[in-house]
Amino acid sequence: MTVVPDALLVETLTRLFTQTCGHEVIQQAETDGWAEVVWEPLAATGAPWVGVPESVGGSGGTLADAIAVQRLVGRFAVPLPVAETGLLGGWLAGAAGIALPDGPLTVVPQRPNDRLSIDGGVLNGVAHRVPWAARSSLILALVGDEIIAVEPGAAGVGMDVVRNLAGEPRETVRFDGTPIAHRAAAPAGVDAIALRQRGALCRSAQIAGALERIAELTVEYANQRTQFGQKIARFQAVAQHLVRIASETRLVGMALDGTVAAFGGGDATFEVASLKSLAGESGSDVTTRAHQVHGAIGMTQEFVLHQLSRRVWSWREEFGSTAWWRQGLGQLVADVGADGLWPLVSEGSASLLPA
Amino acid sequence: MAVAEQASARGFAYTTLTAEELALREEVRAFIKAELPVGGYRPCLGMSADHDPEFTRKMAARGWVGMSIPTRYGGPAHTAVDRFIVVEEMLKAGAPVGAHWVADRQSAPTILRFGTEEQRERFLPAIARGELWFSIGMSEPDAGSDLAAVRTTATRTDGGWLLNGTKIWTSNAHQNHWFIVLCRSSPNEGDRHEGLSQLLVPLRGTEGLEINPIKFLDGSHHFNEVVMTDVFVPDEDVLGEIGRGWQQVNSELAYERAGPDRFLSVYSTFEQLLREQVAQGELSAKAFEAFGRITARYWALRNLSLSISRTIDQGGAPAVEAAIVKDLGTTFEQEMIGLLHDLWGEEPSLDAATLGNQLLAACVLTGPSFTLRGGTNEILRTVASKGLAAWYGVNR
Repeated sequence: MTVVPDALLVETLTRLFTQTCGHEVIQQAETDGWAEVVWEPLAATGAPWVGVPESVGGSGGTLADAIAVQRLVGRFAVPLPVAETGLLGGWLAGAAGIALPDGPLTVVPQRPNDRLSIDGGVLNGVAHRVPWAARSSLILALVGDEIIAVEPGAAGVGMDVVRNLAGEPRETVRFDGTPIAHRAAAPAGVDAIALRQRGALCRSAQIAGALERIAELTVEYANQRTQFGQKIARFQAVAQHLVRIASETRLVGMALDGTVAAFGGGDATFEVASLKSLAGESGSDVTTRAHQVHGAIGMTQEFVLHQLSRRVWSWREEFGSTAWWRQGLGQLVADVGADGLWPLVSEGSASLLPA
Repeated sequence: MAVAEQASARGFAYTTLTAEELALREEVRAFIKAELPVGGYRPCLGMSADHDPEFTRKMAARGWVGMSIPTRYGGPAHTAVDRFIVVEEMLKAGAPVGAHWVADRQSAPTILRFGTEEQRERFLPAIARGELWFSIGMSEPDAGSDLAAVRTTATRTDGGWLLNGTKIWTSNAHQNHWFIVLCRSSPNEGDRHEGLSQLLVPLRGTEGLEINPIKFLDGSHHFNEVVMTDVFVPDEDVLGEIGRGWQQVNSELAYERAGPDRFLSVYSTFEQLLREQVAQGELSAKAFEAFGRITARYWALRNLSLSISRTIDQGGAPAVEAAIVKDLGTTFEQEMIGLLHDLWGEEPSLDAATLGNQLLAACVLTGPSFTLRGGTNEILRTVASKGLAAWYGVNR
């Protein structure tokens, strides 16, 4: 399976985000909870639905294409539910035979404290940290073995405003006898584990993109900023940070490509777990070092760094934290044992298949 | 932005193994299973492996020594990826690859690249047979990370050169046959990188050459001091061009930078501790977290390192990438020792009752060298940082 995305797609979106998703727009979105000036042209390209088959109303394209879109979302700190609309929501909708609406979608990310139940055809309970729930055309969720969709404006829906560290909406949504707009049995391969893996893949791709931009910004800044009569990049202590930033960023990029390749092979259990835990670990390291190199200017709203670093700090928590994925992976390692360890490292999830 | 986008796409292209490469791996795995059965063999720690001529000869019989040597010089003409496969499987198993290690990794490629036709024919077939072993002759008492500061001198004499000076940290000089000496062949006048040369020098029976052991901190003997007093080196043993030693040695260092030896030193220890801990049952969340953290990084590092081998086969010279892998890999394997130590909770001892604890003790004792050998990580990062601006399309 190819890990190389369509070059025209990357070029088009790079141009689009450069033109529409600047610093002011991202800042304004923190107040508005939305950025129509980005969404409208983005939706017109069909990019949010890349990776969702055309047969269910998506834009088609490979997984590598869809992941490239997420990477750019991270790179440009796009304050919109792009992953939620396509790779997550579009995937669930397609699996349930729900026609894709024109607007954005969101999914219930299944936090441990969620309680959802279907009682006599209506939905009851609470879901936490649902991205852009209020702005979505449909909220999709997995409840037991079923995929359901509800309209955010439907009867009995209540929302508490909660924002993530980047100021993006992550509502707590309460359902009290809410009518279910669509429901269907989840087909094989569509379950809570698969949703979490996809979510982790998307967030890791976003982190990878954000880290790439942070690395560029930091190298650029260190080669502009002068102190003690010279560019700070020339100080060895600073240069060490720059190299570590570039290194950890490349490590996450490589893990992302390896995971996309494994998804093509069917099972990516090992790769996703490795990827999300690395993205969290490296994301923490890179943002710490980048802020250190930037000094006080990096702590201001005016400077772009925080729009990226605060998203990394949010994304590393979602669809399984670093510690959660590490523990799951460690459990897998213990299960395969010493003799299965090297096959896992060198062959990935493919080594878990019966010979 | 478009420029930055292109620049950031540089280096580290994800790659997988071809059917032929997978077949080679199966062959190597079968060999290891037969030669080094789990439980019947005490694994070495990565590249600081035991010197085992018998094992080296067996590997050579399969074409796994001097892997890059072309067939016309009696070699197997393997690719960099093929060598990656053999090396990672060997190091993963803690195989005793010490005898041919340096000859295979860097001496043979250097002789192939810079040597005369006569030198290639003299050295390469014997390296490929596993019979000719090399040491490195770079470091000196006053030239560690700062290699251009070497003081060993080569002065012109009838038909060759007279070598005077002292090399240090020369691993296995007492067991190997030759080493490649970096020396100053003309005085340091201005540019320190000019006037350096590389000479091929036999370690055994050479008049004026004295090998003195330097005991490692645990009492073991790999390191040596090699003192040369008027050692005569004939013209036919000059490697490459007189005065081009700096360029040659940098090319030689590039070979040694990014291979699996930079992240697999602790692997066999981790595998053994995992074996013992799983057998004991009841693992803590902390243990799972450590296992997960370690395994994830192994996987990603391995893919980075593999991609460099692929790039080299495609004619690339990924210098910054190689430095990055070495830094990431060695830092990680050093940190791993602490992680494993925390989990184990038992004082490491070379005389412990269990193999895992013995290996962990060996890791604690050798770990500090991981980020030193082949050039300290601090210097490596300083060198790599000079390439970053170009990577990211930034004016320096």
